[in-house]
This record gives sequence, structure tokens and C-alpha cells, in this order.
Amino acid sequence: MSSELSPLLSVTFHEQGCDHLIELVHQRDEHARRQLASVDVAVYDADGKMLGDIPVDPRDEVVDLAGRLAGHGLAGERVMVVLDSRYDERAFPYRPHHYAFVHPRRAAAAPLYYAVNAVLGGVPDRIGATGINNFETYLFLRRHLAARPGLALGNPSRFATAEAQVFAYYGAQRQTQKVVLEPKRHTEIGLPATLEGEPLGRVEVKSLFKLATYVLARRARSGELVLFDHLFTYFK
Amino acid sequence: MLRVLRPLARRLLAVERTPTYYLPWLTGPGLECVLILNNIESRFTTPTDDPIPVSAHQYDSDGTLVRRYDATLADRTDAAEVRVQPTQAGCGIVTVDVSRLKSDLYVTLSDGEAYQVTHGRGEFVETYPLWVRALVILVGGALALVGRTIPAFTRYQYVYRQLDYRSHVLLMNLSNVTNRIRVSARRAGTRSCRRLVTLPPMGTRLVDVRTLVDEATAIGRLKLEANAWFNLYLVGAGSADLAGPLSIMHVK
Repeated sequence: MSSELSPLLSVTFHEQGCDHLIELVHQRDEHARRQLASVDVAVYDADGKMLGDIPVDPRDEVVDLAGRLAGHGLAGERVMVVLDSRYDERAFPYRPHHYAFVHPRRAAAAPLYYAVNAVLGGVPDRIGATGINNFETYLFLRRHLAARPGLALGNPSRFATAEAQVFAYYGAQRQTQKVVLEPKRHTEIGLPATLEGEPLGRVEVKSLFKLATYVLARRARSGELVLFDHLFTYFK
Repeated sequence: MLRVLRPLARRLLAVERTPTYYLPWLTGPGLECVLILNNIESRFTTPTDDPIPVSAHQYDSDGTLVRRYDATLADRTDAAEVRVQPTQAGCGIVTVDVSRLKSDLYVTLSDGEAYQVTHGRGEFVETYPLWVRALVILVGGALALVGRTIPAFTRYQYVYRQLDYRSHVLLMNLSNVTNRIRVSARRAGTRSCRRLVTLPPMGTRLVDVRTLVDEATAIGRLKLEANAWFNLYLVGAGSADLAGPLSIMHVK
């Protein structure tokens, strides 16, 4: 292992009632040489209050997040999970990312495999977000389906309050929401599926630095998670 | 060492790499697959806003080109939704001409009530000359007799098998040569399960995770070795398995 380590700060959201497995390293050679040098995992509630540290062995390959959180009395809550890792660059040959696999228990829905957001405090040039302004985009399928789209946003910074502008596009119309998040706070906002008959086509999130941002959708009848995906940072 | 040897070997074998944007597709009863073609990223980089024609080619799981789709993007914020026509095989590759596009393209799987989405890859397809294809068929065929392949490319991937959900693997051959992909699955303290999956040029195969991980609840470590360029996507399935809602996701 090299003596030069790189940092990676990542954020995801965990909901009670979900199985949630996080791959600390994405690809692993058969001799198990690739592993994190260290990883600290902290959990925050929606108000930014730290609920605790989760002890994780950096030699682990896949962490059962739901199992590790089971003893923290978080019933009914969605929590923000911050992973602060140090790694040898060979552990992530491409862009550094943890990956994860999430599934609502007892649901017929398909499990979702996703790339965990790399955020402020990682290595900006390696996560592709070097600009002062951060601007992310996501396109939606423009047809009416019985699922409720939304955005989950979290502020991983230690001291800075973040303001995010969320622009949702419906044909030629645009709807704007402003979200203010104090350090370590997180929230979920709904995006109307239609506006005056026009379907949601695109959403953009603009903020001063890279927040934790996920597009999500919930099945209208059951509320179960059916979409959980990263946005795209095009304006760098 | 491999970084030096691979380009050298490609040059010696006269292998060409054609830049190609590709996506996986999946269809089935109650499962609709729609591509979202767009040029959204270019609004930051391209001054013009002229309509842009865009075309996509659908390859079936046996590598046969089954359909071409044409659409026009009215401007840089427009998106064309292209419904992928189902085939009996139900999976394959779509390539998109992105010579005038600059953006990630999406593929969606919908059960009529909700949908799941991932993006494609702007990579390349390998073209091998005839004599190399013949050589690969000869040597690869001999190695296949003992369950082996020419290990020109290797990938690693975790897969998940649980009681009511799991991740299957969609393998994609991104070359014009028959690609034998040796899939080895390991779990801590267990022996490997091994399969040799043979894909025709531009072919795909959905590999059931239960044929790789034999325990009812386990995480498998896959090692995939192939004689030509390939990629894979994970296909998530719930309690109804492939008859129910599916998700699809890229890997690194």
C-alpha cells in the first residue's frame, strides 16, 4: 500500500425498514489487497444532531448498514449517514465511490443498486466538482406514472449553512424551491409530478458546494422507495 | 505492466476501438423499456441550438441488429423518449450515435406504475480482424473444453442473493468476436462456482445469480474474465423475481 492516502467523504440516506448494504470498495481483487485505510461512519438525524458513530472495520468489504444501525433507536426515522474514508488510489481505479444496495423489506419492489454520493470534503477534482457553484441535473421520464418523485438533500459541511435552489421544469414552465440546510441537516422535498397538465421533465439543483443529493421516487400507494439515484454534475 | 502490454497487443493484433455510446435494454411481460435521449449537457458548452437528429440501434441478445430508431431533439433541453420494442429474448444492447450529442443518456424500466433508471456508457466497441477472430475461436474453443477462456480482460463485482430480492448480472459483449466470459463466484470460506458464458458478437446474457451463489442468502464476489472487451450491469429483482418489477444499474 502506498504511503499517500486520498480522502473520500460520502453521504447516503437510510430509512428504517430497508435492508441496506454498502460496498466500501467496489471492485475487489481475489487476493483481497484492495481495502480502505480507514473509515469513520457517523449518523445524523434530520435536525443535524449526531446520533452516533458506527464502528466499521476498513477491512470489511460490504457493510450491513441496517444491521449496524439497529441498536440506535431510530425507528421511523430517515437518517443521514456520512462515510469519511481514506484510501490508497488503487482501491478506486476510476472515480472513487462507494456503491450500495438497498431494498425495502417485505416489498415486492426491485432492490436498487446505486453509487453513493461523493460530496464536499472528498477530492474535488476526482469527484468532478471543482467549481465554486455546483450545478446538477436529472431528467425524468415524461409520462404520468403513479409514483411520487422527490429529492433528498443533505448538508455534510461542518460549519457552513447551505442554500440550494431546486428548479423543476414542466415543458416551458419552471417551478423553483429554495432549501436552506444548516450543517449536517437533511430533508426530502417533493416534486409535483405534473404542473398544469405538463409532466415533470427535468430537475436542477444549484448550490454553493456539493451537497448530498439523490433523486428518489416512491410508489404512490405504499410509499416504498422505487427510485434512488444520483444527479449529474455537468457544469464544472 | 498490463497498461503497457494491452495497447501493444492491440496494435499487434490490429484491433480497432470504435468510440460507441451503449446502453442495456430489458423487456418482458409488464416491463417496458424506454430510452431518454437528450443533449442536456451541451447547453453549457455549445452555442448553437439547432434541432439535432439522433439515431439508436437495437441489438438482440444474440447480437443481431433488430431495429433502428430515429428521433429529433428540438433543442438542447429537449429529450426524446424511445420505447424499445420487445423481442422474445428480452435483453440486449442499444448503441446511440452521439457524434452530435454531449450528455449522459438514460434507460428506464417501468412496470406501468413506477420506473427505475440508469445511464449508459460512452466507451468503445472492439473490432478484431478476421484472422484474429479465427484465432480466438480456435484457442478459445480449446480452452473452453476445460472451462477456461483467454483472460484478456478482468472485472470484479459483488452480487447479492437474498430470500426475497437479488441482483442478477447482465453481461454484454462489446466486440465483433465471440466472447467467452468465465464467471467465478466466491464467498468467504467456500469454493468457487464457475460458469463459462459464451456471447456472440454484440450479444448479451442475463445470468441468474442463483446459478452463481448457491446459498439462499449470501453476497458473492464475482471475478469475470473475458477474451474481448465486455461490460456488465446489475439487474435487481424483488420477490416475484424476473416476473416482477426490475431495476438496472451500471457498475464501475
